[in-house]
Amino acid sequence: METNKTSSATKTPNASGEPGVNASRFEVVKRGFPLAMLVLLIVIFSIASPRFLTFSNLLIVLQQGTVLLVAALGMTFVIMAGSIDLSVGSIVALAALATALTADSLGAAAIIPAIAVGAAAGLINGVLLAKGKVPSFIATMGAMVVYRGVVLLFTRGAPVSINDEQFLDVYTNRTLGIPHSVIIGLVLTVVAYGIINRTVFGREVRAIGGGERVAILTGIPVARAKIYMYVLLGALCGIAGLLQGARAMAATAQLGEGLELDVIAAVVVGGTPLTGGVGSVVGTVLGVLIITLLSNGMNMAGVDPYLQNIVKGTVMVCAVFVTIDRRKIGIIK
Amino acid sequence: MRLSASDLLKSYGQTRAVDGVSVVLRPGMVHAIVGENGAGKSTTLRMLAGAERPDSGVMTLDEASYAPPSVIGAAALGVSLVYQEITINRSLTVAENIFIGRLRQFAGPLGFIYRRRMEAAAQTILERIGAQISVSADTGRLNLGELKCIEIARALSTNPKVLLLDESTAYLDHREVQAVLRVISELKGQGMTVAFVSHHLDEVLAVADELTILKDGQYVGTYRTTEIEPNEIHRRMVGRELARSIYPPRPPRDPSKPVVFEASEVAVGRELGGVSLNVRAGEILGLAGLKGAGAEALFAAVCGDLPVRGGSMTLAGRSYAPSNPTSAWGQGVAYLPGDRHNEGLIADFSILDNLVMARPPHHGPFFDRAAATAIAGDLIAQIGIKTQSVDSSCRSLSGGNLQKVVIGKCLAVQPRLLLLNNPTRGVDIGARAEIYRIIRQKAAQGLAVILSSEDMPELIGVSDRLLVLRQGQITHRIETAADATEHDIIGHMA
Repeated sequence: METNKTSSATKTPNASGEPGVNASRFEVVKRGFPLAMLVLLIVIFSIASPRFLTFSNLLIVLQQGTVLLVAALGMTFVIMAGSIDLSVGSIVALAALATALTADSLGAAAIIPAIAVGAAAGLINGVLLAKGKVPSFIATMGAMVVYRGVVLLFTRGAPVSINDEQFLDVYTNRTLGIPHSVIIGLVLTVVAYGIINRTVFGREVRAIGGGERVAILTGIPVARAKIYMYVLLGALCGIAGLLQGARAMAATAQLGEGLELDVIAAVVVGGTPLTGGVGSVVGTVLGVLIITLLSNGMNMAGVDPYLQNIVKGTVMVCAVFVTIDRRKIGIIK
Repeated sequence: MRLSASDLLKSYGQTRAVDGVSVVLRPGMVHAIVGENGAGKSTTLRMLAGAERPDSGVMTLDEASYAPPSVIGAAALGVSLVYQEITINRSLTVAENIFIGRLRQFAGPLGFIYRRRMEAAAQTILERIGAQISVSADTGRLNLGELKCIEIARALSTNPKVLLLDESTAYLDHREVQAVLRVISELKGQGMTVAFVSHHLDEVLAVADELTILKDGQYVGTYRTTEIEPNEIHRRMVGRELARSIYPPRPPRDPSKPVVFEASEVAVGRELGGVSLNVRAGEILGLAGLKGAGAEALFAAVCGDLPVRGGSMTLAGRSYAPSNPTSAWGQGVAYLPGDRHNEGLIADFSILDNLVMARPPHHGPFFDRAAATAIAGDLIAQIGIKTQSVDSSCRSLSGGNLQKVVIGKCLAVQPRLLLLNNPTRGVDIGARAEIYRIIRQKAAQGLAVILSSEDMPELIGVSDRLLVLRQGQITHRIETAADATEHDIIGHMA
């Protein structure tokens, strides 16, 4: 995989004889960690609950994970560039609202307002960061509150239901037993993989995370790439909002609350460090599976719901502890 | 105190960084350790300072056996190290920086620091080294040379008998270097044992009494500086007869060649006030000046990183006003920044990623990896970057090779105008000669080059014409750089 080029290249013998030649074995451990963790979780939960490793439960996991996956694909770009977006949960809610308000008249085409609203919200975030030079942590923290506020203002706290048959048919039915949402998630994964690994834009985003000053002085259109990546994340959150709304058959003011933490956790657990410069779509898929399986498996195994958050948080920190690149620890921009 | 080491050995993995080095440092003497990049100078010094532990070998301090467990352990025994990098925290005061890590000694019974007592102690040390720095100075406004003096003061705050300086002049300009060399002489006069590592022979010959030459981790010999010729030092460092000059021959100037870049009355920020200059195709224009004299500001404006406050520029005959670096590179202006690690390249990325960063080959939105591999392979061969694969991480490269990657990145866009900001900082003499050759070769093919450097012989040896800057103004124009003398240039700089 191309995105891992940098980490695999560091394994080549260190010609200058600098310290750190013993890092290679550790490097392998780091890269295999998300997959190993996923396998370990599957083994543990299969032992704990006989219903865990069944086709129907697997489909439920995939369905539960799709919203998280679609948002996490976009977040992979943002984190790879060394930035962050805390407003994804609110954008999802905003997009779900746009979907619910238009589904009855537009049917399946309600995806257009959903993507448009998400992309617009992302554009605002991107411009604030790239042109306004507001650090992304602060800009998107404010945006998180504002976007959620817009949803509350519109709904006055009451849910907006979705009744259109054609809409629900397209986004919640199954083909050959596979939910349409899962198919959408898979297609978007392939697209995101292509963008990160095969396009000039993907390289620009990676260079920004690897060394923003270098990228600027090398003539990379840094501001433009940052805006694009936030628009991309917003658009993906728009689709995630639509899928979430379709599942719930309604948009509510609370929809997507706390999603940003799961999204960031999935990306980071998948091995994309918050320090930027490296990013892997495959890792993000693994991270999403880990986060989703953890919830699903603990429910299946009957783990005390009040204990679950403690386990989830611990797993996240452990994953970062193993995968973080300690040479590059910095502040999230 | 007398610090001696014999037969030091240090390996990192397969590589023997230091292989049987012996050195004796005597009180009241300045000892220089010289050699090319990777010769083992810094590693030797760091072993003496306790920052690295030798695999084998014996070290003694006066007559006692000496095996410091750490830099702090060495300091307790009277051996202090000044690091190569500037490690001053600019949000702390001068005194806090000097006593950082040992602030407790000024703490009262409640744990509060007696600021006045600490500042008095700091001022005493600064006066001892003859540094003209006040403890009440704002660390944010001090220049690099002054910061280096504060680091030396910090090293002296543990009352060492032996002071070790690792490449302490690498990022300093002429005036700042003089300040540090003065401090070294001052300490020598006070009977201190001093050893330092340097790339610059003129510095070595100016202050050192003895010098030890290392080559490929091995000990070549120790000499009194009065007894060895500079050429002989070079020869022993490189291990072969050096070409008569590391600078490539200058072709005759051709005034009929078109002017590629012209600036008239260009002013930038506070640093540069109304400078006019031009550079023709095939020409290398040198800029001399102290830090802050305006060369950096001019480069920042020409590469689109800073806006121009006044005046105008033309590129290839057309009006030129880049709004950002993207626009500058797009019009054929390539910039090699002075800070290789933070501005020049991304060390975590592969050689290929860095080489094609400015203009990645593509089909529509898609990156063309095959074309990129071809371009990178071509540049590696052309510039002589020593690597096994285009996909190797830049972390595996030495300083000289890294700088060649940055030059390759600039040449990959086939620029009209190349801006070089200290292109050979921290680069050894062999790689330097190759870099000069590449630049001259590209100039012969029609490239216009502006070279800013703190290395005076380099400016004189490489440039066709020279401009001297002082406080944002051109103070001197030298039409034939080959005839210039360092004395003449320095006279117009300060």
